[in-house]
Amino acid sequence: MRIKLWGVRGSIPSPGADTMKYGGNTTCLEIDPEDGGTEIIIDGGSGLRLLGNHLVKKYLPDKNIELDFLITHTHWDHILGFPFFTPIYIPSTKLRFYGPVTYEEGGIEEIIGSQFQYRYFPVIKSELSAEMEYNPLRETSFYLRDGIKITTKYLNHPVLCLGYRIECGGRCFCIATDSEPFRNVFPTDPEDPDYDRTAAEEGEEAAAEENRKLVEFFSGADILVYDSQYTKDEMENDKLGWGHSSYEFAIEKAFEAGVKKLLLTHHDPERTDEELDILISFYREKYSDINRKMNFSLAVEGREYFL
Amino acid sequence: MKKADRLKIVSRYINNMPSLPVTVSKVQEICDNPKTSPVDLYKVISLDPVLMGKVMKLVNSAYYGLSDKVTSLVRAIIMLGMNTVKNLALSSAVMGIMGKEKNFIKLNSDMFWEHSLCTGIIAKKIAGDSTSGKGEIEEYFITGLLHDIGKIPLISCFPEEYTEMVRKRAEGLYSSINEAETDYFGMDHTSTGKMIAESWNLGEPVRSVIVSHHDPGSADAKYLKLTYTVIMADYLANIYGCYFSGNCCPPDPPEEVLRLTGIDESYLDGIRVFVKEEMEKARIFLEIKN
Repeated sequence: MRIKLWGVRGSIPSPGADTMKYGGNTTCLEIDPEDGGTEIIIDGGSGLRLLGNHLVKKYLPDKNIELDFLITHTHWDHILGFPFFTPIYIPSTKLRFYGPVTYEEGGIEEIIGSQFQYRYFPVIKSELSAEMEYNPLRETSFYLRDGIKITTKYLNHPVLCLGYRIECGGRCFCIATDSEPFRNVFPTDPEDPDYDRTAAEEGEEAAAEENRKLVEFFSGADILVYDSQYTKDEMENDKLGWGHSSYEFAIEKAFEAGVKKLLLTHHDPERTDEELDILISFYREKYSDINRKMNFSLAVEGREYFL
Repeated sequence: MKKADRLKIVSRYINNMPSLPVTVSKVQEICDNPKTSPVDLYKVISLDPVLMGKVMKLVNSAYYGLSDKVTSLVRAIIMLGMNTVKNLALSSAVMGIMGKEKNFIKLNSDMFWEHSLCTGIIAKKIAGDSTSGKGEIEEYFITGLLHDIGKIPLISCFPEEYTEMVRKRAEGLYSSINEAETDYFGMDHTSTGKMIAESWNLGEPVRSVIVSHHDPGSADAKYLKLTYTVIMADYLANIYGCYFSGNCCPPDPPEEVLRLTGIDESYLDGIRVFVKEEMEKARIFLEIKN
């Protein structure tokens, strides 16, 4: 299995001198489960532009481009690369999209396609040449092709968001980007005027159970790419409910799940390379015991891994 | 009208069952407000039996494909998030509004709402106070809230006959509401309730209690405690004045119900005060005038 990171930044593309080392493009990963087979692309953030150019060079004119897209969710930073994805304009391209259902906004076809309107972009959806197929996904498990098993899990984000587990040839890759720890959102202090014992107890139990399921979901992964946009302090200060995780949660849960290598991703757009360097040193020190048993590092744009 | 024709009308109605007018404007207000708290969202859904049933139906629908059945609204909010549940509630609430229909006249819908909520509150209180039942208290509330849901299609589809039936029952022509309903419509509210529970996929415990809440002897052994608690709550709601058409003077609950729920006289006095306060809170929340 081959994995290449084309975009690891969170929220908005963040180019500039301060983000050269870790990269400024938003989420886009290329997974080649069979190392030489059909690629799986996870999300179409701004990193997708460079990946598209790479695929055109790699395949054309001798071969056609055929890809499976696994979309985690349809927030802007995860789909904004599509208008600049060259293969979408090539008639021989075949793209199969998989992504979560969205109750309120129509399917993924409508959401991704809605970028192609004259008010946003000079090309409209009907002018796209590639053959495209859309498949709504739920919490499920299925074979994408022979020998490639995909398992999905709903994550805690303000819109339905899926984590993906990809298993092939005895190797396992997992991604959970945009994934806030599940928490009890109901007051637990009996003095709180909104306190309701039933809701408080059920909420505690439900949050703990969902977090347990999350750990099960990526248990034993060879590589886990996990959201760590914030530090624990930042989250508790004013980021609760924003749908993201902390370095602390990512490291502790990945270790609990027996993950072999953890890549911390979705770097905050305000975070400079220097700050990220300081943070990773701090966490390697803080979690020195864990670090001896589980490899963890910051995701870096352009980096490639082989399993 | 033949029973088969009535069944067709009822089935069609269940597929498009509207929410209660008493909660719709509050649902819209809460769901449109970006600052709504999870507590308010939970409250507004759980105060309307129709809305609660429909939201749980959507949560458990193939649409979301959740691997485990979700029987708790709290859990649904934590798993799927506020925005998704807000959207589910909003779309369920505005799918139809009962107040716009002539059939389910306002008096009926308010009384129905009061009785359902009161039963849910008492069932939850009994479960919470007893040693067993903890960890599933919300299920007691939901089941109490939904136990009479089968009355809505009968009243809405056959309003004039239902009113007449209520009068005849008050005159002492029938020994029970079920007997009266069956005589008039060829089905009673437990059978229409069963249709709703199955159509909305409300789960076996809720379905079982809806079916047997007027016949404790037929209660499924697996849900005995739940069934008896709801029967007791239903009885108490009626004697506390939260009664609904056709069932103002229920028979005393059987001895085994009292025994299994472990309820005595002194406990009942405490419940009366609690229910009054909870109902008042609900009215204030929904801005309903007494």
